Amino acid sequence: MGEEILVSLKVNGQERALAVKPNTTLQDLVRWHLDLTGTKKGCEMGECGACTVLMDGRPVNSCMVLAVAASGSEVTTIEGLSVNGDLHPLQKAFVKHGALQCGFCTPGMILSAKALIDSKADPTEEDIRQVLGGNLCRCAAYPRIVKAILSWKEFEGVPLDTRPHTPEERDQERDHAVVGHGVTRYDGPDKVSGRARYTSDIRLPGMIFGKILCSPHAHALIRSIDTTGAKKLPGVLAVITGADVPETRYGVSPARYDEHVLAKERVRYVGDEVAAVAAVDVETAERALRLIQVEYEVLPAVFDAEEALKPGAPLIHPEDPRYAGNVNTRVEWNFGDVDKGFAEADLVREERFVGSRTYQAPIEPHASLARWEHHGPKLTLWSATQTPHYLQQMVARTLDIPVGSIRVIKPAVGGGFGVKAETTPLDLCAVILARMTGRPVMMKYSRREMFYHFRGRHKQIMDLKIGLKRDGSITAVQSRIVLDGGAYTSYGVITAYYAGSMIPTLYKIPHYKYDGLRMYTNLPACGAFRGHGVPQPRFAFESLLDMMAEDLGLDPFDVRIRNAMTPGTRTCNALDISSCEFGATLERAREASGWAQKKGRLPRGKGIGVGCGGFVSGAGYPIYRSDFPHSNAMLRVHESGQAVTLHIAAADIGQGSDTVLPQIAAEELGIPYDRVWMAACDSTLSPVDLGSYSSRVTLMGGNAVKMAATDVKNKLLRVAGRRLGCDPAALTCRDGRIFVKEHPSVGIDWAEVAAAAFSEGGPVVGTGSYRPPTTLGGDFKGGTVGTSPAYSFSTFVCEVSVDLETGFVTVDRCVDFSDAGTVVNPVTFHGQVEGGVIMGIGETLLEDVVHRADGTIANPNLHDYLIPSIRETPEIISVAVESFEPRGPFGAKEIGEGCLVPILGAIANAVYDACGVRVKELPITPEKILKGLQLQAAGRVAARVEG
Amino acid sequence: MRAALSRLRVVREPNLAMTARALEESAEGPRPLVPMAGGTDLFVYLNAGALPEQDYLDLWHLDELRGVIDTPGGVRIHALETFANLRRDPLVKRRYPALAEASSWVGARQIQNRATIAGNIANGSPAGDSLPVLLALDARIRLVRFSAPRDVGFDTFYTGYRTSVRHPSELIHSILLPWPLPGTRQYFRKVGTRLAQAISKVVIATTITVQKGRVTRARIALGSVAATVVRVPSAEDALLGEKLTPAAASEAARRLRESIHPIDDIRSTAAHRLRVAGRLVELAVADALR
Ligand SMILES: Cc1cc2nc3c(=O)[nH]c(=O)nc-3n(C[C@H](O)[C@H](O)[C@H](O)COP(=O)(O)OP(=O)(O)OC[C@H]3O[C@@H](n4cnc5c(N)ncnc54)[C@H](O)[C@@H]3O)c2cc1C
Ligand code: FES
Ligand code: FES
Repeated sequence: MGEEILVSLKVNGQERALAVKPNTTLQDLVRWHLDLTGTKKGCEMGECGACTVLMDGRPVNSCMVLAVAASGSEVTTIEGLSVNGDLHPLQKAFVKHGALQCGFCTPGMILSAKALIDSKADPTEEDIRQVLGGNLCRCAAYPRIVKAILSWKEFEGVPLDTRPHTPEERDQERDHAVVGHGVTRYDGPDKVSGRARYTSDIRLPGMIFGKILCSPHAHALIRSIDTTGAKKLPGVLAVITGADVPETRYGVSPARYDEHVLAKERVRYVGDEVAAVAAVDVETAERALRLIQVEYEVLPAVFDAEEALKPGAPLIHPEDPRYAGNVNTRVEWNFGDVDKGFAEADLVREERFVGSRTYQAPIEPHASLARWEHHGPKLTLWSATQTPHYLQQMVARTLDIPVGSIRVIKPAVGGGFGVKAETTPLDLCAVILARMTGRPVMMKYSRREMFYHFRGRHKQIMDLKIGLKRDGSITAVQSRIVLDGGAYTSYGVITAYYAGSMIPTLYKIPHYKYDGLRMYTNLPACGAFRGHGVPQPRFAFESLLDMMAEDLGLDPFDVRIRNAMTPGTRTCNALDISSCEFGATLERAREASGWAQKKGRLPRGKGIGVGCGGFVSGAGYPIYRSDFPHSNAMLRVHESGQAVTLHIAAADIGQGSDTVLPQIAAEELGIPYDRVWMAACDSTLSPVDLGSYSSRVTLMGGNAVKMAATDVKNKLLRVAGRRLGCDPAALTCRDGRIFVKEHPSVGIDWAEVAAAAFSEGGPVVGTGSYRPPTTLGGDFKGGTVGTSPAYSFSTFVCEVSVDLETGFVTVDRCVDFSDAGTVVNPVTFHGQVEGGVIMGIGETLLEDVVHRADGTIANPNLHDYLIPSIRETPEIISVAVESFEPRGPFGAKEIGEGCLVPILGAIANAVYDACGVRVKELPITPEKILKGLQLQAAGRVAARVEG
Repeated sequence: MRAALSRLRVVREPNLAMTARALEESAEGPRPLVPMAGGTDLFVYLNAGALPEQDYLDLWHLDELRGVIDTPGGVRIHALETFANLRRDPLVKRRYPALAEASSWVGARQIQNRATIAGNIANGSPAGDSLPVLLALDARIRLVRFSAPRDVGFDTFYTGYRTSVRHPSELIHSILLPWPLPGTRQYFRKVGTRLAQAISKVVIATTITVQKGRVTRARIALGSVAATVVRVPSAEDALLGEKLTPAAASEAARRLRESIHPIDDIRSTAAHRLRVAGRLVELAVADALR
């Protein structure tokens, strides 16, 4: 190994001389040697830009520069931007505009912007889009990033506060002091300054590193494993294989725990975990992996869900008769009488649509850090997780550790979108290796390993049949879906149900039949991805509805409005729709988009399309049987009375729950937002919350928080009542005062009351919990999936340009009208919508994980698996159409997932309007469009392309 | 830290002469040095574990390899010029707008700040965005070794998929772009997978010289349609002596479709590339008409 080299350079104005190995990158120099962890690692391939630093004033990817090559240069990292604790105006602009969600891309983004404003103080929007093309943001905060940079000068010399940035970001209609106001994100300042620590930024004394050996074969039996060479390598502290891990299988759905921590005898996809190593550094661990000799007996493999179904197909889980024929999950739902429904229709049409395997691709790779404590067998686990509670349960169950001995901490998480909602081999191996070595073990995936671990969207093959009356009313719907599940179950049982359960929530469907078949294949397992199971069937539905509207000579909006869901409806599959402004979203989107002037009237190559969507506001039932309330909160009033701390283990992964939950607390308590502290997401500090999935946190966590706040409030009102000599019931709190409702001038300072309460009786604590109504759902198999206390609804209209020469599609502008109940924070709300729209654009036009004939992935990187950049960002107008949801806190529902659902169909419809090519297979690539155009030129009026 | 990187050694010599000597001397030995400029290609291979453990010869500090110089025979662009510089360079923008345009399409800003033109050439990917432009501009590549320099026409530089006449002991020193002839229109278009930081599906560069209303010289160069960047003489011939009419353009496109044989890969399909390449020629001709 090369000896160390002395590198001298200036970092953030300070001269540094460091001895580094020749292979050290500038990225590792700043992160590891200087502990400047604001410089992030997202890909190490120059693709994501999260590692951007300024080198002699110019942005470079620090992962692609050797430290040696940076010798003599001047380097600025994000930590170098603030001066004497005062954030740079750009950083303040990012905070105030809500130009970040998970924050993982933010330091790089800000540094690229810094280089821009240094060369051009008043950049145009076009300049910004040019310059930020190499900074990928999966949360797609792009529209807000542009606004923040455009306005950076406004923040010069202005101190940072939490107040909403503009009057429009304040609820005008309701008399709320905090809810409905676009207060700045709780985590904003830490994320723009590089202070926020993500799992892989944590460094513990004695920490070592783990790596996992993956199968190179898609299907094989393990004949033998020889680890002697690896164990002998200096620096290696532990090596484990399937023989060293429990027999217990793990997974997500209790009905289908089908994974071993490391393969016992069979590997089922390229990437299946075979062995793991812990060593003093990652290099040594990786070298050790290469010394492990595995003898495989390669078996035939199957990579296609329909092939997997055929007799004679290789069996992927032969050990369990439940999975005969490679069927992982079968759903057979029949509501009403579809035959009767179709008989009543004037037009029945059936078409096949095919989705794609899309990957969540958060910019932060998965990471996990385990440490066993010295007193008692106690474990601390830091993990990039969306679901700390399920992680704790699963680690306990799989590794046979009492739950009470496990502490799970969720540091900042750089986006998840579903992929971090399950226990990973990293978590489990880190725990085992830490126990064996007595050292803290850090494990993370590379970008490539993330793609192989996968748990992305299921590719669905959908045969959809709809019956319509001449006036457009739906008489019946039949859907047959085959889902490619990959080698393991993950969330797949639930996915297979969701793919069917959510179709009847938008439109009234009298008769509905759904047959779902989730198949095992020798591909990486599929899991839950934003909109869980729903975007592809919704794409199919919205596409077919448009096709049939055309057949009947009806306007797509008229058909949708005719069938639109109304409040207080029980759907044919026994889901209870409570609040619902779907109709209003349709009417308003139609108006605002200029539909009447544009539909069918734009020049060739330009088109407009509509799609609708919606989602649950939290799953009605937990993933495993549990009687615990789903969300639980504690509020502790500080003895000074000047602040409160909110304890809730809801996982903010960028969506903003650490902001809206304190808002709800502040509103109910009657104090300003900035008096609420958030306790870290740590199982020793806060009671169970099921986590961030199924768009559940605002409604469920919010209800628990509100209840805890009411509890505190009632205690304080009693004290205040005594002090003011009046009935507590006559009192209320707002803006840090407790006063008589009828005579607001008669009152007392909130903090004073709180301090007095503490003096009288010790700690003032409130608790709250929430569980959904236990009556949700029908009494049939799978009747629980799709249940929720409330549903969101939206209408999305977009305009596209299709380049008739190349088939390239650009989404130019769009409007989204969403009913998410009361908007708790307009900034995070619209941020979610914008992010969902852009992610939906990626899913529709760009994204697909492609497997080769041997099961390896052709595009396991951000170079060839393309996610939208700032250049793909259209003009987005997002409008809230507020309903009041009686089951939600202050009337709130969900926005995070529903916002993605309508996009796919809307774009497909717009592409058709633009050029007459109907693409039924995702993604809608230029290749498919051009092929369609060619068929069209060859004589057909409107080509329908399937491939 | 990547395992593939772990045993690398980086050699840095104080000047060009010594660098060239180090390269030449190592070429015969067991561990030939590999030149490293911006590193933007090398790091991708390193990270993918695709390179054996190697020793690198750092070029980045060699200012002798920087500069865009006006010479009687044309403009000489030195090896380490980055695409960020070429995108902005006034001389390049004025005389070789197609190169400035191509430079602005390479990767994103961070990449452009490190990626060098010599790296693009030496890496030799058929998708290299500057390569069709160099071909269409009749570039000549100056190669140096410690013993002697030599100049090679870019049209004879590549010998196959990512192989070239450059000997491992040679460095790319600079690129000479002859002055464009009067009446020449340059055209560049990259059809990529995405709008920012995209790899080409098809990339085209053309120079079309028109005198007295007729085409006297045409260069049509394409990237991402073959194992190397290619010129399409049959399509060029279709334009020679002709007026720039849609008919001439479609004849050029027809011949082009006959003479190239692209492949399917993760970025596109052969059929699509063929269609798009043909259309791009027509667009290039239409552009020259303006
Ligand atoms: C995220 C990303 C996006 C990219 N996008 C594009 C794109 O859009 N278009 C495009 O064309 N390319 C793209 N590239 C590829 C790359 O940036 C270019 O090919 C670049 O020009 C390489 O230059 P470099 O200086 O970084 O080369 P290096 O990586 O330093 O070297 C590349 C090769 O050239 C050799 N070499 C370098 N200099 C010399 C010299 N003077 N003499 C002899 N040999 C030499 C090296 O030994 C090596 O084999 C991208 C790369 C990344 C990582
Ligand atoms: S980590 Fe450097 S570009 Fe992604
Ligand atoms: S905020 Fe940009 S990746 Fe999450």
